[in-house]
Amino acid sequence: MAEKPSMTFSLLGSAAPVLAPRRMPTRARTVIERSDNAAVYKTPAAPHESPLKKFSCIPNDMPVILGPRRFPAIVCPPPNTSTSIALSTSIGFHQLPAKQYVNAVHKLRPDIAIGMADMVLGSPPGNKRREKMVDRTHAFTRDALEQLYGDALTRNAKSKTAFFAPVLPLDNAQQSLYLEDLESEFRWDISGLALYEAASLEHIPASLGDLPRLLLSDPSTPHHILREISLGADLLTTPVLGASSDAGIALDFKFPAPVAQDDDKKPQPLGYDMWSVENATAVSSLAEGCVCFACRKHHRAYFHHLLAAKEMTAWALLQIHNYHVFDLFFAGIRESIQNGTFEQDIEAFARFYAPEMPESSGQGPRLRGYQLPAPAAHAPRRAPKVYGRLEEVMVSSSAVTPDTDASGLEEHGFAQKA
Amino acid sequence: MSTTAEPARKAMPSALTFDRHAKCSTTKARASTLHLPHGSVPLPIFMPVATQASLKGLTYDQLRDTGCMLCLNNTYHLGLKPGQAVLDSVGGAHKLQGWDRNLLTDSGGFQMVSLLKLATVTEEGVRFLSPHDGSPMLLTPEHSISLQNSIGSDIIMQLDDVIATTSPDHARIKEAMERSVRWLDRCIEEHKYPEKQNLFCIIQGGLDLELRKQCCEEMVARDTPGIAIGGLSGGEAKEEFCKVFVSLLLWIAFNELTGHRVDTCTGLLPENKPRYVMGVGYPEDIVVAVALGADMFDCVWPTRTARFGDAIVSSGTINLRRKIFEEDFRPIEEGCTCTSCRPVDQGGLGLTRAYMHHITAKETVGAHLLTIHNVHFMLTMMGNIRQAIIEDRYPAYLRKFFSNIYEGDRSKYPEWAVGALRGVGVDLLADS
Repeated sequence: MAEKPSMTFSLLGSAAPVLAPRRMPTRARTVIERSDNAAVYKTPAAPHESPLKKFSCIPNDMPVILGPRRFPAIVCPPPNTSTSIALSTSIGFHQLPAKQYVNAVHKLRPDIAIGMADMVLGSPPGNKRREKMVDRTHAFTRDALEQLYGDALTRNAKSKTAFFAPVLPLDNAQQSLYLEDLESEFRWDISGLALYEAASLEHIPASLGDLPRLLLSDPSTPHHILREISLGADLLTTPVLGASSDAGIALDFKFPAPVAQDDDKKPQPLGYDMWSVENATAVSSLAEGCVCFACRKHHRAYFHHLLAAKEMTAWALLQIHNYHVFDLFFAGIRESIQNGTFEQDIEAFARFYAPEMPESSGQGPRLRGYQLPAPAAHAPRRAPKVYGRLEEVMVSSSAVTPDTDASGLEEHGFAQKA
Repeated sequence: MSTTAEPARKAMPSALTFDRHAKCSTTKARASTLHLPHGSVPLPIFMPVATQASLKGLTYDQLRDTGCMLCLNNTYHLGLKPGQAVLDSVGGAHKLQGWDRNLLTDSGGFQMVSLLKLATVTEEGVRFLSPHDGSPMLLTPEHSISLQNSIGSDIIMQLDDVIATTSPDHARIKEAMERSVRWLDRCIEEHKYPEKQNLFCIIQGGLDLELRKQCCEEMVARDTPGIAIGGLSGGEAKEEFCKVFVSLLLWIAFNELTGHRVDTCTGLLPENKPRYVMGVGYPEDIVVAVALGADMFDCVWPTRTARFGDAIVSSGTINLRRKIFEEDFRPIEEGCTCTSCRPVDQGGLGLTRAYMHHITAKETVGAHLLTIHNVHFMLTMMGNIRQAIIEDRYPAYLRKFFSNIYEGDRSKYPEWAVGALRGVGVDLLADS
């Protein structure tokens, strides 16, 4: 297992980490979206190998976490049932039966599996629904543990995967029966807890205190991440990393924060917007002193150009840089905790850096339908129409639309006014 | 138009040396090395197209790993973004994109005509309406060369008068050809850095062999460091064009330009200059064009088709989105040494067709992985072609190539390829 605290990454559809650094636990969902018959189950693998890693071409020494759905989850209209949860997949809405999911854990042998939870997405659940959430999640966990590690199984047939039991984002009182079972009956079969909000960290029963906690939340800034770790999160999902890359933002922060020279100094930004025109001719690296691949090879002007030209390389290179920043951030956190200076360091970090992420002035990469919630009926189209503009306006190109007028083109040396 | 070079012409220094190593004893295929300011390029070569200073999601280290020594940027696109002022400020396109190997840029004229519906060509240059606000604009040979000087590419192309090869208007084709010659003179005059950037002329003339010959004579007299053959690919239109037609044209053009007799040395194209066939890039077209004496090729097809899930393999192309690959756990191409196909124990990613099927056309990384494979495949193919020429077994290579693609069924061989290769002494249909 990776050092704690650490971050986990959701690789949609379990794409291979070509450009991304190693040490990336992945969560696979779409690989089993079709059925019990999916190709992933037929991957040739030796008994000690995980067919999931083999299928996704993930190195053996990289821990893999399997979850029933992607994170952040995409809201989908069909409701969960008492035996399955509803998913939005690349081939449409789909019910994933609990039994099928546990089967997948058994056969695919990830290092860690996140237990299935009956989550209500989109709107807060009412009282009745909350009771149902607890009952169903309780049953999902009970059945999963029975299926994976039950007494009916021989020693060899028991799953080697570590099971992280879900803790619902509800008050303890509401899920007390479930938590009690986690503390007693289920205790020896669970290897960790999967939580959905930072608040849950505060009231984990003491007898479950030694279990690693995977927090499936969406902290919006590094400050929030620090707070969650301070509350006791060990493994964290950090969608803000990918969201920053998509927004064209190159992150730039360290932990512990550098010592401020002057107390009145303005807080430093957490990153820089590469869309901003001030980067158009900047030949400096994304972040001063950064030694990541992107910074060693390229300067800001190139990032600005790639974003403006909507080239995929822009987002690939930004991911490389932002992962590097996060890697160092988490290494710094672990060291700070070991040194016993974590709380002071958090305060210094809050003083040194701006409280919010910088705003992006551009657009992200193209999104595919299954990466977005299903549109409501008669909703306006998501993206402006690109084709056929010539017919309407008589002027414009479907290939490249420069953001400049004729004088701009002339200034560019591209052509002159006739 | 006179047929002799005018005496007042500016001298053409060259920033390249062209070493010829071997020539096929049957066909006109040649193996050589082109020494350019940013490194040596083995010829014949395929050049991947990094239109906007980036090869579709790949990092330049990944491109380097495919063995690429020379890739393309498009002047039209770089002129719009980032624009000449930025290029000048940053210090050229090599510095902009962090690529220390060679670059070739086109003139921008092709995109003017193919992308802008409202472009018209006059003697001065290409007149078009600004895509943004509709003001009338003019792109001249001088603008194109000035931009390419700012880009700093190792090979730059003249602005030529591009018209559809299939145009039925003979007078217009003749005008375009003659104008391209006059524009070449203007480009030579404007070119500021002939000692570090190589200007190539572009031979035009549509389907008319007489016009092609005339153009060739005129342009060769200008003594540019290299020679390109234009108008053989419709670019975007290529896919609509009948492939047979385009490739037949290629055959005719080369046979005529290099002289009919195989052993002649009176061909119109000088032996000591690299020959670049613009916009041609299907493997079949390339192997035939190499046999006819071509050295350089470029095409967006291998990288574009990768984004549609098509992998180029020795038996042709396979679309990995097809269901038959869902449980196919072999590599994309058995024995391929690209980063995507190479097994993990040899430092590769060891990707399988099943995995590619799973992510292709769903995740952008699928496009990147397949782009790596396709570019690597094309460059490896060019390396194999070169080796076959050096070992003087190119006719055998050609037979094997077509046999692989058509599974040995000679009745399926395309007529244009059989005809073209017969013209250079290789009969694909005869037993070797």
